[in-house]
Amino acid sequence: MSELQAGQGAALNISDAKSTRYRDVIIALIAFVVLALLPMLTSSKFLLDFVIRCSAYGLFATSLNLLVGYTGLTSFGHGMFFGLGAYGYGLIMQKTGVPIPVAFVATLLITFVFATVIGAICVRLKEIYFAFVTLAFQMLIHSTILSWVSFTGGDQGLRGGIPRPPFLGIDLSNHLHLYIFSCALLVIGLLLMRQIAQSPFGYTLRMIRDNATRASFVGIDVYRAKLTIFVLAALFASVGGMIMALFVSGAYPEFAYWTISGEGIFINMLGGVTTFLGPMVGTVLLLILNDTVTRLTEYHGIVLGIVILFFAIGLRKGLMDFVFEWYAQRRDAARERG
Amino acid sequence: MDLDALTGCLTTSACLVTQTTSGLIIGMLLFLVAVGLTLIFGVLKVVNFSHGAFYMFGAYFAMTTYQLSGSFALAMLAGAVGTAIIGLIFERGFMSRVYGRDVLMQLLVCYAFVLIFDDVVRMVWGPEFKSMGMPSAFQVMPLFIAGGVVPPYYLLLIGVALVAALVLGLGLARTRIGKVIRAAAHNPGMVSALGINTGLIYGGVFALGGGLAGLAGALAAPVRSLTPGMGFSVLIESFIVTVIGGMGSILGALVGALLIGLIRSFGSLGFPLFTEGLMYLFMVIVLVSRPSGLFGKEVA
Amino acid sequence: MLEIRDLAKSFGGVKATDNVSLDFADGSLTAVIGPNGAGKSTFFNLITGALRPDAGTIKLDGVDLAGRSPPEIVRHGIGRAFQVASIFPSLTVEETMLAAVGADLRRAGVLHRRFPLGETRDRAEQAMELLGLANKRRRTAATLSHGDQKLLDIALALVLDPKVLLLDEPTAGMGTEERWRMIDKVRELWERQKITVVFIEHDMDIVFKIAPEIVVLCYGRILAKGTPDAIRRNQDVIDAYLGTEHHAGAHA
Repeated sequence: MSELQAGQGAALNISDAKSTRYRDVIIALIAFVVLALLPMLTSSKFLLDFVIRCSAYGLFATSLNLLVGYTGLTSFGHGMFFGLGAYGYGLIMQKTGVPIPVAFVATLLITFVFATVIGAICVRLKEIYFAFVTLAFQMLIHSTILSWVSFTGGDQGLRGGIPRPPFLGIDLSNHLHLYIFSCALLVIGLLLMRQIAQSPFGYTLRMIRDNATRASFVGIDVYRAKLTIFVLAALFASVGGMIMALFVSGAYPEFAYWTISGEGIFINMLGGVTTFLGPMVGTVLLLILNDTVTRLTEYHGIVLGIVILFFAIGLRKGLMDFVFEWYAQRRDAARERG
Repeated sequence: MDLDALTGCLTTSACLVTQTTSGLIIGMLLFLVAVGLTLIFGVLKVVNFSHGAFYMFGAYFAMTTYQLSGSFALAMLAGAVGTAIIGLIFERGFMSRVYGRDVLMQLLVCYAFVLIFDDVVRMVWGPEFKSMGMPSAFQVMPLFIAGGVVPPYYLLLIGVALVAALVLGLGLARTRIGKVIRAAAHNPGMVSALGINTGLIYGGVFALGGGLAGLAGALAAPVRSLTPGMGFSVLIESFIVTVIGGMGSILGALVGALLIGLIRSFGSLGFPLFTEGLMYLFMVIVLVSRPSGLFGKEVA
Repeated sequence: MLEIRDLAKSFGGVKATDNVSLDFADGSLTAVIGPNGAGKSTFFNLITGALRPDAGTIKLDGVDLAGRSPPEIVRHGIGRAFQVASIFPSLTVEETMLAAVGADLRRAGVLHRRFPLGETRDRAEQAMELLGLANKRRRTAATLSHGDQKLLDIALALVLDPKVLLLDEPTAGMGTEERWRMIDKVRELWERQKITVVFIEHDMDIVFKIAPEIVVLCYGRILAKGTPDAIRRNQDVIDAYLGTEHHAGAHA
């Protein structure tokens, strides 16, 4: 049995199923309104930038949780789709000058093709092979970006800025517009992923994580289900990459480097994968940690490494896992008293 | 793509010799790293994701020892022994706490050490590229074999790696410790039932694997530039080697490493922009046709 | 009707299943017995697609299923439970049932609706009632007792409405009393559901008491088949199996 599992043991009945969806939509709307009102309360560009970065990394990390936490697929190369999103979008905008929504859809299509091919090769592999072969593909994409200088700009990245022509009255070169746009993508993305997690397919994934052999004897095509979630997760990671490219108005090889995947895994560990929003919490924590450590020391790998060890060997679980367990214990205790 | 260069080379003996030797040294270095990876996996059932850092440490240890002592032999020894000690501490202190747990946890612990080790190197030796330089003993005229240029150091490197491979192979096959290690790989429970300290075996295997990677780094130091993070690409390539050869197989590691070495050296002529890609392509072909590798056991 | 013809499987020269031909009539209850290593589990694995046969046909109602994948075979109506309860540890009993029915209705890939689906409710409820798990519906499978986990495993096969149900040692790892309770349950299921049940069992007392039909496997071959009386009197069976194993088995 996996130590890291998402969404276990929630009580349920049919009428709940419908009302939880409304509840999720309402929570998402409230979250969006709060985020959208933030610029009225503060003029801190730093804070708004922080939220934009959280959107990019949060979508990426949550999509990784669909693989790691829900399906038990430990991908160590998920960051390739983040990089692919950033580069795909940046290149399309720089070379063709199509409207932004067209570039978005085109990038998703490219990601879809890549993820389908790579996933078809990888998802049939066992645990550790899967982890490393996905990592190997990430390195392949990274090294292709580095060596194909004429197309990708090599180690300099896509420079000279990515054009941001206005569309439908949205002008992404305006910082406020970019901020709202990122928040909207984040909220919509999270809502869609939540829907995946709570759908019948989401439970198919849980079955595969728990016991893939048994799942196949219940009539589930395990390979197909794994490939489907691999591709879906890649699409969300790609959106994260696109937000990043919009934000920095460029794309750099680091976006496709393996450390992005490593950070994604760590974010999941940090926030915990028992709850759907664990990775979001992890994202906020890691970005704060990164920003603080980078300001204090140039050796931020050492600090980050020690924090990871503290969580992996010391606590053995993420923060949201603790909160979740604490809440479950209190609820049980209350039930016993009642 | 430059297929003319490739066919041109394949038909000229001088170029053939030069490219083959360069392929062999890439292959031999990869073998030393990969064989440790595969040995650790075979016995401990974990993939040491921080294995590349041992290669890096080996190179830096060798460089510093050489600068201080001027002795090349001592530098090689320092590279191997120093990393073996780090390997032992790393296994006993940290990795041993995550055996039998999620692959994710093992990867995370290793990931943490990749970050830490890279920064330690940056702290001690600085972030810039370093070079150990060719030891004076090898600063002699290169050999000419069939018109191809072969630096004498390359021959030493290939020789040392071959000796290491032989010693390792024979040691595992013939000695008592070798038998215990092989038994531990098959059935850890049985070994502890025999009253043999599995902790010692595990630590020893990790030290051995780390030491081999360190030796590879030390051997590479005179011909490669040293930089923090230099181990990572080596790790990925060694992993590809073990996937091709079959996890846990020493012969597989040797064959896989030589194949990758040759693909890299000849591929760089024919497909200069896609040399890495060729390697991955080869891995994918092997994975799809023989999922357990060329020499791997069925369903590992 | 499940018709097996010339089914064969070898592992590196060892014939684990050696040209086995058998018919299981609709609604029959058959016990498969045989000494350890007789090839009983291999036989089940071949029928359910966990292993690919080297040769032979497995026809269910005229459709040859030999060599097809487990999901396909399950869809054609052959369900199975495992020797070691094979369940989904982090799902609750209820979730397990609902998700399994969903998979059977080909809803495993549905993305736009929420779990659980209304149309899965009744069948899941029935299966839980049938196996006596309804009052443990909110428990996660990992927290169930060994016996309940075995029941859940069977429920997981039964909830798919199979025509044929294969049970690999339903009483494995149980105490005497629990065994009888389990086997009564199996018999009750068979009588109520009117499906074909084939089960592997080591306890001869149980086999002779409840199985109308018995198949004896030995070294991958069918040594004998027939009613309990016929098997008891069969000299081959006595020589090869009962003579030595029966007494040893009685102590185990």
